[in-house]
Amino acid sequence: MLVKSGIYRKSKTQAATLLALGALLFLVLLLSLSVGAFPIPVYQVLSVIMSNIGIELGDFTTQQRSVLVNIRLPRVILAMLVGGGLGLSGAALQGLFRNPLVEPGLIGVSSGGALFAVVYIVFGASIPLLQGLSGIGLPLFAFMGGLLNTFLVYRLASSSGKTDISLLILAGVALNALSGALIGLAIFYADDAAMRNFTFWSLGDVGGANWQKVYTAFLLIIGPAVLVFTQFRQLNALALGESEAFHMGVNVQKVKYILLISSAMMVGTAVSLTGTIGFVGLIVPHLIRLGFGADHRLVLPASFLLGAILLSVADVLARTLVVPAELPIGIITAIIGAPFFIWLIINFKKLRN
Amino acid sequence: MLQATDIHFCIQNRPIVNKASIKLLPGELTVILGPNGAGKSSLFKVLSGDIQCRHGNVLYNGKTLSAYKTSQLAQIRAVMPQHSTLSFPFTVQEVVELGLLPLKNDFKQETVREVMEETQTWHLRDCDYSVLSGGEKQRVQLSRVLVQIWEKKPYPRFLLLDEPTSSMDIALQHHVLAIIQKIKSRNIAVLAILHDLNLAANYADQVVLMKNGNVMFQGPARKTMTASKLMEVFDHPISVFEGDSHRPTVIHTVPFSQIDQQIKHA
Repeated sequence: MLVKSGIYRKSKTQAATLLALGALLFLVLLLSLSVGAFPIPVYQVLSVIMSNIGIELGDFTTQQRSVLVNIRLPRVILAMLVGGGLGLSGAALQGLFRNPLVEPGLIGVSSGGALFAVVYIVFGASIPLLQGLSGIGLPLFAFMGGLLNTFLVYRLASSSGKTDISLLILAGVALNALSGALIGLAIFYADDAAMRNFTFWSLGDVGGANWQKVYTAFLLIIGPAVLVFTQFRQLNALALGESEAFHMGVNVQKVKYILLISSAMMVGTAVSLTGTIGFVGLIVPHLIRLGFGADHRLVLPASFLLGAILLSVADVLARTLVVPAELPIGIITAIIGAPFFIWLIINFKKLRN
Repeated sequence: MLQATDIHFCIQNRPIVNKASIKLLPGELTVILGPNGAGKSSLFKVLSGDIQCRHGNVLYNGKTLSAYKTSQLAQIRAVMPQHSTLSFPFTVQEVVELGLLPLKNDFKQETVREVMEETQTWHLRDCDYSVLSGGEKQRVQLSRVLVQIWEKKPYPRFLLLDEPTSSMDIALQHHVLAIIQKIKSRNIAVLAILHDLNLAANYADQVVLMKNGNVMFQGPARKTMTASKLMEVFDHPISVFEGDSHRPTVIHTVPFSQIDQQIKHA
């Protein structure tokens, strides 16, 4: 009976944790909608949202409404989806590679996505076949690039089911360098129009959000995210090792494909919509594990929520720190994330000795 | 029943396991013994399905390994490897509960506690697995694989253990082998690689002696673990004092410094 209540208590704690993170996300949503170059009080933010679902509280101007609905809401939702996707893909890749230092940007997933995105921006217009893809073309290409690099880095760093972390980081360095060089090459051949498109894209913040982008993000991030959530048992088993997971009945190959493809899709979509945003995928799963343990049943959804929270807070900082200008959001996450990474390395070293 | 015939396994054309045949019966503990590099672990991995061999086949209850889905196989056999490293800070109880994974929802919640009390790990349940000692980690891993096959089932099942007691003190070693004796009566065949000849002699039903990839001798423990056979396999002077119902069988291995004297005495 004690065990029963133990398991029961644990799932109750996990549900409470997720609920708390969800509530925090909602508060951050209200805050992000309220602050900015044109502040809107939280009460009026609520009124606008309520009026959109048919409950009229009045008490807001059309200007407030139009800023909120056309500019701020898509921006905040996009930041949340991208942050959630990055946080979750970090958790999934760390679980898959069995290493807590893995991050989509570090091992080349993001740069692969960026390379293919640039190739699409620069050459897409001149290939008639790609015209039909329209809005979905850029994320699709970024996904393929992310997948290609994920696959390469995995092949380079693993032998007989074991992934060597130093090889993994080195493979990431090599792929990042190669992707960077090829991005430079593509830009060298870009014409003026493509160049302008590229510049807009590479600024890489959530400022250019519109509802079209939100719909794309919703489809291509929530879809794979749900798929990753279902793999929590398999990820728990994988933490012991690939052959142990196999002994416990996990089809390791299938789980690998699911996780690699889903992660590449989430990261690729994020990169194509908002540019390369680093370190979210590294920090978020760590904080969750530090606070609430390593059970992937909690780590996966909680990483999504905390990723969404962190990136929207970073976005709030990006647009308030240097008013009236805006900082690129990638700079904020890197300023917070890089020292965190250094701290992790120091801890990792201590743990090994 | 688990039946493996003509197992042949090469790495870079060097035979690691050569024409090995082995049969595991429910209710019996079969122990593989042999010097380092004898091919014990490779044979073990072929039997567990970790590696496929080009020649020979492995039958679980009459069906070849490849005829089973990974999830079906996990319901009839549990495997404890030599070392398992954990990459994230799981608690001890979470590690043991991983063994419930292949059972889907068909398990009793009490199983985990029952097994952990049996292996004396229940008091560690909330500890971080990574801070445990080597012997404690082995007991936790043993609990995990025991959970996987704990509940009685009408069909034969298999428990494969690769040096399950290597980091344990003497009392715990005996304790673990007592658990193994208990579980084999549940229609389970147990295979263990051991290094301790005395443990093997006093607990094993069947013994397989391996050397250089070959199965040299196999059969009931008493008939197989004789001084001459053990000396041939281990290339070291060994004497066996057979026990009875009051005394355990004792196997002496002679220190190098005394080998010359022994020869003189003889």
